[in-house]
Amino acid sequence: MYDNRLSGYLYIAPFLVGLATFTLFPFLSSFLLSFSDYQLQDPVEQARFLGLGNYIQMAGDDTFHGSLGVTFLYVFLTVPLKLAFALFIAFVLNFKLRGIGFFRTAYYVPSILGGSVAIAVLWRYVFAGDGLINQVLVWAGGEPLNWLGEPAYALFTIVLLRLWQFGSAMVVFLAGLQNIPTDLYEAATIDGAGKARIFFTITLPLLTPVIFFNFIMQIVQAFQEFNGPYIITGGGPLKSTYLLPLMIYEEAFKYFNVGYAAALSWVLFIIIALFTIIAFASAKYWVFYGNEREEGE
Amino acid sequence: MAKGRVLLRGVVKSFGATDVIKGVDLEIAPGELTVFVGPSGCGKSTLLRLVSGLELPTGGSIMIGDRDVTLVHPSERGIAMVFQSYALYPHMSVAENMGFGLKIAGLPKALIKEKVAKAAETLQLTPLLDRKPRALSGGQRQRVAIGRCIVREPDVFLFDEPLSNLDAALRGQMRVEIARLHAKLGATMIYVTHDQVEAMTLATRIVVLNAGRIEQIGAPIELYCHPANLFVAGFIGSPRMNFMDGIVEGAEADSVNVRLNGATLRLPRYDADVKRGNKVTVGIRPEHFRVGPTAEAAEEPAVEFDAVIDLVERLGGETLAHLRMPSLSDGVLVVKISGDVALRIGTGLRVGVRLAQCHLFDADGRAVGAPASRVAPVAA
Amino acid sequence: MSLITRPRPDIAWIGRVNALLRYGVLIGVGLVMLYPLFWMVAASFKPNHEIFGSVGLWPQEPTMDGVVKGWRTGTEYSFATYLLNSFAFIIPKVVLTVVSSVLVAYGFARFRMPGKQLWFALMVATILLPKSVLLIPQYLMFREFGWLDTYLPLYVPCAFATDGFFVFMVVQFLRGIPPDMEEAAVIDGCNSLQVLWHVVVPVIMPAIISVALFQFMWSLNDFLYPLIYLSSVGKYPVALALKMAIDVTEATAWNQVLAMSTIALLPSLIVFFLAQKYFVEGITSGSVKG
Repeated sequence: MYDNRLSGYLYIAPFLVGLATFTLFPFLSSFLLSFSDYQLQDPVEQARFLGLGNYIQMAGDDTFHGSLGVTFLYVFLTVPLKLAFALFIAFVLNFKLRGIGFFRTAYYVPSILGGSVAIAVLWRYVFAGDGLINQVLVWAGGEPLNWLGEPAYALFTIVLLRLWQFGSAMVVFLAGLQNIPTDLYEAATIDGAGKARIFFTITLPLLTPVIFFNFIMQIVQAFQEFNGPYIITGGGPLKSTYLLPLMIYEEAFKYFNVGYAAALSWVLFIIIALFTIIAFASAKYWVFYGNEREEGE
Repeated sequence: MAKGRVLLRGVVKSFGATDVIKGVDLEIAPGELTVFVGPSGCGKSTLLRLVSGLELPTGGSIMIGDRDVTLVHPSERGIAMVFQSYALYPHMSVAENMGFGLKIAGLPKALIKEKVAKAAETLQLTPLLDRKPRALSGGQRQRVAIGRCIVREPDVFLFDEPLSNLDAALRGQMRVEIARLHAKLGATMIYVTHDQVEAMTLATRIVVLNAGRIEQIGAPIELYCHPANLFVAGFIGSPRMNFMDGIVEGAEADSVNVRLNGATLRLPRYDADVKRGNKVTVGIRPEHFRVGPTAEAAEEPAVEFDAVIDLVERLGGETLAHLRMPSLSDGVLVVKISGDVALRIGTGLRVGVRLAQCHLFDADGRAVGAPASRVAPVAA
Repeated sequence: MSLITRPRPDIAWIGRVNALLRYGVLIGVGLVMLYPLFWMVAASFKPNHEIFGSVGLWPQEPTMDGVVKGWRTGTEYSFATYLLNSFAFIIPKVVLTVVSSVLVAYGFARFRMPGKQLWFALMVATILLPKSVLLIPQYLMFREFGWLDTYLPLYVPCAFATDGFFVFMVVQFLRGIPPDMEEAAVIDGCNSLQVLWHVVVPVIMPAIISVALFQFMWSLNDFLYPLIYLSSVGKYPVALALKMAIDVTEATAWNQVLAMSTIALLPSLIVFFLAQKYFVEGITSGSVKG
């Protein structure tokens, strides 16, 4: 720790400049834009103040209502499922087994690749009419399904794409599990606690910080999913996969309704902010920080 | 010429609202090995870091040699420092570690090599010069850390609990090496430790710190024999000094009568500034009791009391007996006895208190009066 | 458990079943997860009719047709152009991210300064801030700069530590390292920049590599930003080219499309397998140690 305040600020200066230029300024600008009728092709000076116009329009916009509903459905499906699955596999892996490193790597690969266009493309072919899934279904004696053409199934395919990337959350859970000192388990066993009891009284409480971290990250990411619906389904069929980030993109860059898109993005921001605030506010009731240390001088 | 002299005047250090050092005045003479001791959190490490320049004081001034270095960069103070964690650069070889400071100073490579080789020889590190720190044992790492200091040829060496990461055997060995190094280099050294054995064996002078203040400064034996206050009395010496509460019954020019739990002791004390009725504390070290008849028994006035054995800790060469002596105190007193005496819990014992070895402290914890042994011996 | 030196037979039996169950789950899940990837690679070497014909992996009639035509992409440029385009902005992006993140993290982790808590909190908040709320004004800003259809909007912000996640990662790593070594370097005569270069950078190299690798992967996968900023096909990175090539090729030539996807994934896969331990360290350092 150095006392020299000036050089401290010199080191964080790039961040401060970046924060002002590329974060705070755009952040406030989009807030202002959301009250305007600004069109992408016009000079910025032509933007007209609309008051709450965009937000009023939103109240009556069925596309927006649909998109909002689909977005919530998508988040509420993916986040709990992904976390539960990641936790489950982490438990299976957290055992003295040979080849753990291999499985951990294998499960992690989809997380590395999952965001890419190539995987989204692959997904299209896996779920296509005569794609891999349907071939397997037919081979197993079932009926092929119209995965990408049927509104009920289309969302399911992009949910699966995110679940497929459970590896990064799993690696974090696994590290958290391995951080729990074994003498705690031994002490509990000597105290006569059974397996289930140990899980609920030791493992789970000590894992809550990691669960909390994963939960926040997954929520924030899921609300921003763009590549999947854009490439795999294009938002369809019948807007059944028209997630809010996709709608924002199309309003701004396809229909040039920048003002309206900015208002949509602020709604998305407020939703994410609310979830984050609730999570952080509730953290003190359920997140257990065992070894809190004071920051040493 | 005051090369190697360190002078602190009114040094104060706060971190935010917490005052860690609350005004320290201290002069360290050239060539001294001064040890800072105190319980954890007393500010001893902070004081050392203030001398090093890693922390800057909130108030006061620091001089090294004839220079005011209060605001001078650490590398320009003529100091070198050994850290508790060794703080070797993990990606550099031993030779690179030792020569890094010279390299930063822009010395020619040949000269660096020569100086490193010379320091390595002093510390028997020559065969290890090409190794990385992770390939060294704890003791070797510590020697490299010391070597890094020697290469800089500092006026003042600073040691921040340098031995606390070593095991007991190695600690003893390194302690001797540091003492030899001090004798050989004759440089000023400041040494921080919480281990009083290290403090007693190494120090020319000990500075006892408590809660950011100096409690007492003195040669090791002086602190042991004449602690200035209750804190130093309790901190220096192991096992800890026994304390007994008492009330002054009367004070004369050469003695003080103190009423304890059930008995009155007549302690030889000159010019004690106490009055009848004052609350005082009498202290006596475990090794200053007398059990059984011994050769010096006749020469020194001792008063014998009944004791009951509460607990026995056998250390081999000696034994610590925890005794109940209701005439002296409600609590348990620890007495050091030679290891071959048969002791059984619950049995009785006669224990002598050597009056000349007793310490007396007033209600504020300050030592009272001149002890008998400091005054010219008077024929009994 | 270690008190029992020789396990009783029934305990040993339970242990074996337990291990067997675990392996079963792991292998089953692994197969289902990775099969589509294997299928994609295999399909790159199959003729089209064979891809629809069977669920098996091994090509009956192996052919390089898909790979060769896929490499040509059916657009006016070959895949090589798109790969080079990707690297043209990813390399500056990675370098700038590493430099700015390390400088800022060093400032946050090692200096006392007023207002630090506030700035650090704001940095963490930017990690959680949805990118779409910044997207439109950033686009307008870069349009004013005249940077549209250049790579500048893609990497210039990285020079200013705009990815809070990476700063956070390095800060967490630095917090785990006692500052003694740096103090020794100060006594050895280093100023703070020399301490950073001679001591901190070598010591936090694993974190730096993690940052570089994650930024590399994410940039390679990034689709939305190139999509809005780049308009000339000749400047397209792999991600955009792939999407375009599919729109061109679409229904008929599956083997070409899947071969292109395979090629597009290769850089990520190679980097991942060369340096997988840094990914695990990187992703866990932000969550577990904190």
